[in-house]
Amino acid sequence: MTLEIQNVSKLYNRNKYGLKDFSLRIDKGILGLLGPNGAGKSTLLKMIATVSKPTEGIISLNKNNIVKDANYMRKQLGFLPQDFGVYPNLNTYEFLEYMAAMKGVGGANLKPRIKQLLEGLNLMEVAKKPIGSYSGGMKQRVGIAQVLLNNPKIIIFDEPTVGLDPEERVRFRNLISDLANDCIVILSSHIVSDIDTIADKVVIMKNGTLITHGSQDDIIKNVTNTVFETTIKNEELANFKAQHIVVSTTRKDGHMMVRYITENPLENATEMEASLEDAYLYLTKTN
Amino acid sequence: MTPFLIIIKSDYLQRTRSYAFLITLCASLAIAYTFVPEPNANYSTIRIADYVGYYNSAWFGYVTSIMTSIFLSLIGFYLINSGIKKDIETKVGHIIASTPISNFKYLLSKVLSNFMLLLTIVLMVFIMSIVLFVSYNDGFSFELFQFIKPYILITIPAMFFISMLAVVFEVFFGKYSVIQNVGFFFLFSTLMVFTPKTESQFSLDIFGSKIVMHQLEETVRGITNSDTISDLSIGYVLGSEKKVKKFEFNGIDFPTSFIISRFIWILFSIMIIAIISVLFHRFDRKERMSIKKLVTTTKKQHIVKDLLLSSLPKPQINYSMFPLLKTEFLLLFRKGKKWLWIINLIGMVLLVILPIKMSHQMVLPILWFLQVSRLSDLATKETTNNVHYFAFTSFKPIGRVLVSQVLAGVVLMLLLASPLLIRLGLSLSFSGVLALIFGAIFIVMFAVLLGILSNGKKLFEVLFFMIAYANINGIVFVDYFGGFEHPKFYLIQLAVFTIVIGSVGILIRKWQLNK
Repeated sequence: MTLEIQNVSKLYNRNKYGLKDFSLRIDKGILGLLGPNGAGKSTLLKMIATVSKPTEGIISLNKNNIVKDANYMRKQLGFLPQDFGVYPNLNTYEFLEYMAAMKGVGGANLKPRIKQLLEGLNLMEVAKKPIGSYSGGMKQRVGIAQVLLNNPKIIIFDEPTVGLDPEERVRFRNLISDLANDCIVILSSHIVSDIDTIADKVVIMKNGTLITHGSQDDIIKNVTNTVFETTIKNEELANFKAQHIVVSTTRKDGHMMVRYITENPLENATEMEASLEDAYLYLTKTN
Repeated sequence: MTPFLIIIKSDYLQRTRSYAFLITLCASLAIAYTFVPEPNANYSTIRIADYVGYYNSAWFGYVTSIMTSIFLSLIGFYLINSGIKKDIETKVGHIIASTPISNFKYLLSKVLSNFMLLLTIVLMVFIMSIVLFVSYNDGFSFELFQFIKPYILITIPAMFFISMLAVVFEVFFGKYSVIQNVGFFFLFSTLMVFTPKTESQFSLDIFGSKIVMHQLEETVRGITNSDTISDLSIGYVLGSEKKVKKFEFNGIDFPTSFIISRFIWILFSIMIIAIISVLFHRFDRKERMSIKKLVTTTKKQHIVKDLLLSSLPKPQINYSMFPLLKTEFLLLFRKGKKWLWIINLIGMVLLVILPIKMSHQMVLPILWFLQVSRLSDLATKETTNNVHYFAFTSFKPIGRVLVSQVLAGVVLMLLLASPLLIRLGLSLSFSGVLALIFGAIFIVMFAVLLGILSNGKKLFEVLFFMIAYANINGIVFVDYFGGFEHPKFYLIQLAVFTIVIGSVGILIRKWQLNK
């Protein structure tokens, strides 16, 4: 199973590109999509999900051009958009049956499948109540359930952990790892910790373009031996930020503990083990 | 600019920068174009027996102003009755509720922005009436005051009153759009039926049209020396065979009591807002309810089983449309409050017990109009509920999803009309049965087309309201359900028209999806 994105661009108006000349080949496994707000992640995902069409370029799944034959993708797609809604007057059972019908899934196994999904996503007790009364986290879990209705081979999660509590986040990550065994999972987030524990490959985007892609180790190599931590005075922070790429700051005993990226560390700085977050910040700030 | 004016300005800009407003503005201009018929047109809008006025400034000014007053009161309500709802939907209301603005100021700002919105349309119609006066050029001089006076004394106070009414309906029936739509329909009909007899009673006519009509009748009586002339028609009268005679209308010297009454109507509207501001929920009501519900749902949660994907039953391919149709029907059925179905049931009973002609001509169009909120977002609810990512990426979103929406709508309409269908069938009126079925398909397709076209529900609500109003006033031209006598090709015309609007709707949706 291979998804190929070849020279894809999305032009919103004469001067504004949502995505520009983007190419990528995605194989089975989990692909983490990282980028600041406005990087073009959702634009890319919507085009893969056949919600919108590219202005230029081709997206193909197993050599089938899905820009022309959207139904080929739709039959095997599970998509959780960043900002989705529900029909508030339906309960979860009814909503999932409706989603299943839209996907062309039915038969005797549908009800037990929905039941097991609801049990696994901790929605069983509220399944008969109108979705309009659900909290944000509950609705997000309904969204995850609808993704899994049709045993999808391509799964797209756009900012999936929004609204989930810490325990639900962990369960969600386990679920994604389980899913990745025989399908392509694309997971977008601007929170690095959502990606770094589970993604096989990572893509970093900015301003509608691809900055880099590869395994986490490959990406982290960009900042190996350049991540340091040091302590400075509060009043020095602004000046320090202007001169270095600061990853994080922590207030400690009236001073600031600063983690930063540099090739010329201060004398009292301690070298730290580089992480995906360091690499992400370095790449997005220097590109 | 004071903060209060800034609120009004921002609200006005937000609402005028919408596609729906643009469409309504264009539709209003298109309709306004017909207010004073082109000299060779085969219809009239205001006619007293066989008489219409010369196309002088007074005729143009008064005719367009009273037509605007009535027409815009009728449809303007539907254009403006969602100002508070928008603040609820966008959650801006929560922010507003936490600011020091008083309920009265907030509601008054909504009234004023509603008013500005309607005034924008009035201004466009006013300009168009001057342009038409110049282009029809009947040899009369242009007198600006004859144009301005009726607009100031007739149209503007009516627009202010409607702006207030929209806010009042939103405050009291904000959650019940059906009650808003239908309630206003009946209120408007009642106000229109009011017939003042004396000069002081003209002051009670909020639309201000009755005094002008009275004066027109008086003028024609004076010309014909007849006391019996009362055959004034207002509205679109098509293809009159009688030769039209012309008379000169030079405007009205409004009585002082009438002029004062216009100001009193405006003050009365502001006073109503002051009174209801005490009862305004200030965006708190819905929140209280949902928190209560959420507490009960959270309490009941138990130990969670792990989700083992490998153990899930295998899904089977099933492209049947029945499950979609079932859910679409369920969504239509559950829309609005349950008790409103009692009104539908009463309507169905009336279809059984009333004379068949009355059932067909009066009860059916009202019963179908009661479904306006159900039909208006039939094909746009994916977008309004933010479910469009799922719906538009489903397998065959047009061939399956859109078609099931249309079918569900038609089934609902036919179910409601079923008593009449059976009666027509039993009386062997098969053309009546066919017309009713075509009518159900037509109105559903019409809702779908306008929904897709405007990406909202207002346009359909406004036009359906006008059609229903015309239906119960017996205007045969807009009979889409075969309630009146028609030429023999009526059914074919209706079917062809339905197919055309259905095809256009599907093509536009297809284009939208491809985009």
